[in-house]
Amino acid sequence: MVTAAIMYWGLRFLRFAVHIREVCVLTAPFFASNTTLVAYFFGKEIWDTGAGLVAAVLIAICPGYISRSVAGSYDNEGVAIFALLLTFYLFVKAVNTGSLAWGLGSALGYFYMVSAWGGYVFIINLIPLYVLVLLITGRYSMRLYVAYNSMYVLGMLLAMQIRFVGFQHVQSGEHMAAMGVFFLMQGFYFLGWVKHLLGDKKKFEALLRIIVTCAVGVGAIALGVGTASGYISPWTGRFYSLLDPTYAKDHIPIIASVSEHQPTAWSSFMFDFHILLFLFPAGLYFCFKRLSDATIFIVMYGLTSMYFAGVMVRLILVATPAVCLISAIAVSATIKNLTTLLRTKSKVSQTGSTKGASGGKGSSKALPDQSQPFQRNGAIALLFGAFYLLSRYAIHCTWVTSEAYSSPSIVLAARGAHGNRVIFDDYREAYYWLRQNTPADAKVMSWWDYGYQITAMGNRTVIVDNNTWNNTHIATVGRAMSSYEDEAYEIMRSLDVNYVLVVFGGVTGYSSDDINKFLWMVRIGGGVFPVIKEPDYLVNGEYRVDKGAAPKMLNCLMYKLSYYRFGELVTEYGKPPGYDRARGVEIGNKDIKLEHLEEAFTTSNWIVRIYKVKPPNNRCYYAILKGLKGKALKKKLHSISVTYCLKQGNKYYGECHEKSIRFLKPANKEASLDRETDSERWAPPPQVFCKS
Amino acid sequence: MTVFSLVLLTYFMVVSGIVYDVIVEPPGIGSTQDPYTGSVKPVVFLPGRVNGQYIIEGLSSGFMFVVGGIGIILMDLALDKNRAKSVKVSYATAGISSVVIAYVMSSLKSQCGLSNGVIVEFYDLGYSHLILWC
Repeated sequence: MVTAAIMYWGLRFLRFAVHIREVCVLTAPFFASNTTLVAYFFGKEIWDTGAGLVAAVLIAICPGYISRSVAGSYDNEGVAIFALLLTFYLFVKAVNTGSLAWGLGSALGYFYMVSAWGGYVFIINLIPLYVLVLLITGRYSMRLYVAYNSMYVLGMLLAMQIRFVGFQHVQSGEHMAAMGVFFLMQGFYFLGWVKHLLGDKKKFEALLRIIVTCAVGVGAIALGVGTASGYISPWTGRFYSLLDPTYAKDHIPIIASVSEHQPTAWSSFMFDFHILLFLFPAGLYFCFKRLSDATIFIVMYGLTSMYFAGVMVRLILVATPAVCLISAIAVSATIKNLTTLLRTKSKVSQTGSTKGASGGKGSSKALPDQSQPFQRNGAIALLFGAFYLLSRYAIHCTWVTSEAYSSPSIVLAARGAHGNRVIFDDYREAYYWLRQNTPADAKVMSWWDYGYQITAMGNRTVIVDNNTWNNTHIATVGRAMSSYEDEAYEIMRSLDVNYVLVVFGGVTGYSSDDINKFLWMVRIGGGVFPVIKEPDYLVNGEYRVDKGAAPKMLNCLMYKLSYYRFGELVTEYGKPPGYDRARGVEIGNKDIKLEHLEEAFTTSNWIVRIYKVKPPNNRCYYAILKGLKGKALKKKLHSISVTYCLKQGNKYYGECHEKSIRFLKPANKEASLDRETDSERWAPPPQVFCKS
Repeated sequence: MTVFSLVLLTYFMVVSGIVYDVIVEPPGIGSTQDPYTGSVKPVVFLPGRVNGQYIIEGLSSGFMFVVGGIGIILMDLALDKNRAKSVKVSYATAGISSVVIAYVMSSLKSQCGLSNGVIVEFYDLGYSHLILWC
């Protein structure tokens, strides 16, 4: 946010009249192009300029990165990956040159990363791990000492300026590795100094043994005391689930339920990386061939990030720069080999013809002479092959970007059977209906996925939204969705809900609807309220909505709200009415009656359905309480629920008539302020049509 | 050398989707029933989703990737050192053929998902959700 604001002010200062919306939309592509530049310099640092160029080209179109940096995706990662790569580049530069300036630069890059994304924990654990590997492989040097110390100390102090992070760098278990390696580095330096002073090998070794045991002991005791006393907090669930992937599924269902947090299948790797998956092991081989401080770093970055990408689909993004860099090394090295083969051909032929076979070298030179044309043709063919592979990669990337990562997420598009494009604009239809047909302070209950959209486009208060900070609140909503209608009604009254919104894909075949997400609602609700048990909704461990479904499933609120009146609808030619196209079955319970809710709106393709929560009883308490006094009044008051209607009614419950026990219909009094007439009220159509 | 082979093994396991296999526990291979004859036929590729796989499908694809990578390594070994000519030639041919086979297999597999048939795409809140048919 700060970045976008700074760019906006900067452009305004230069008198460019831009709108903040344009700045926000284009922030991610702008930083993606900056990442390309950094990738070039990084490649140059690790290998040579050729590898840098190839790396820049690869990362510019790699789908793994484009998926989170399209124009319009205004999220942390657009800026964070740039900061990540910048920090790594500056650190490797610092290790290579040993200069304090580059070390401080990497600390500033780290500060930018901390302020951008919670994934900075990856940096603060990868860099100490890298330093440890360098120490183990005997590559300790003054350059490493200067680079790491300056980066760690200044980076830590800067990171503490971010209020959200606070003192986590000294208190949280996730950051302890960096501190441990910091002290280890001091130990190494101290030992080097002592060795220099002592001059005697045996004494030094004895001293070394004593010091190492003391240091390890002190370190272990400190860590133990810190963890036991609670000062050092253990790893938070978010990051612990990366180390132990099965943790989230059992203990934190709300993290496990996000579709991006699922483990990765090979098809997602292929989709996002294409030929880079072949080039990655080859690049690793080249790095191992020419080991240096920089190549060790990129190998470690690549391996750790690939492991995390395997654990969680979303983290393919973090692995993308490493994979692109390593693949670039493979491409650059291979093409260099081939082209040198092509070029030395002419040279060898000249020397061969002038000097002839001379001495012992004759055999090795004569052989290439004899097989010259074969090798030259082979090299040319291989170059064409490499060109073909890279062009296939480019075609794949552009295809993926145009098909999968270019759609707005609020308007759905599909291709019909004849190839024509069908647009489903149901979300916006429903949100604008909410905006125009409900009172301004109505509260909408829906699953948290739609919270921000309802707030922004429908302009109504929601119960839970995408900022999934309050797990208990979300679990309450989940419990309401998975209970029978009566219990759910009690919960909705206690939350003061006026409208319920569900997303239903049975008519269109849209498979990201609430019925498919329902098991997660059950799990999250069951995580806080043990009364909700997941096996109640399953039949033999299977999740079904047809006739063989569990009775609790067939009568829960989500089922009723999704399939209300659906049993009369014919959705597909040749199938019975009530055929759910998303699940591919005929629903089990077609005769649904709603007692406490009534249907307020269903969009044209039945994707979004909005229901109104009816007032408590249709009995007018005013009429009941009138005439009672004293003890009788108190007794009556205790036995009815709290809300009672006022004589003049309010916009939800309508007026009461003294003589009648029913509320007057509140429908016409519900128009919000921005609606001109309220003569029309949406009612369910008398006849349902099937779509062919 | 040993480190590198360990690294390759780890890469093979990660790219085959072993974490997915451990958590989601899909069957080794899928099966459909022929509607007319009633016989059960095996299904190798998981239809209908981008981020899903059967175990054998994952392992074979990961193997293809590793084979392709090794092919490029073999090509480099063939070019660089002063080995006996026959060894160089064999390395070269093995390398080139590995790469070609691996690439062709992978593109065949992904064609089954990515570019054939009717593609209905929906952009879920966060991750693109392609529903594909073979």
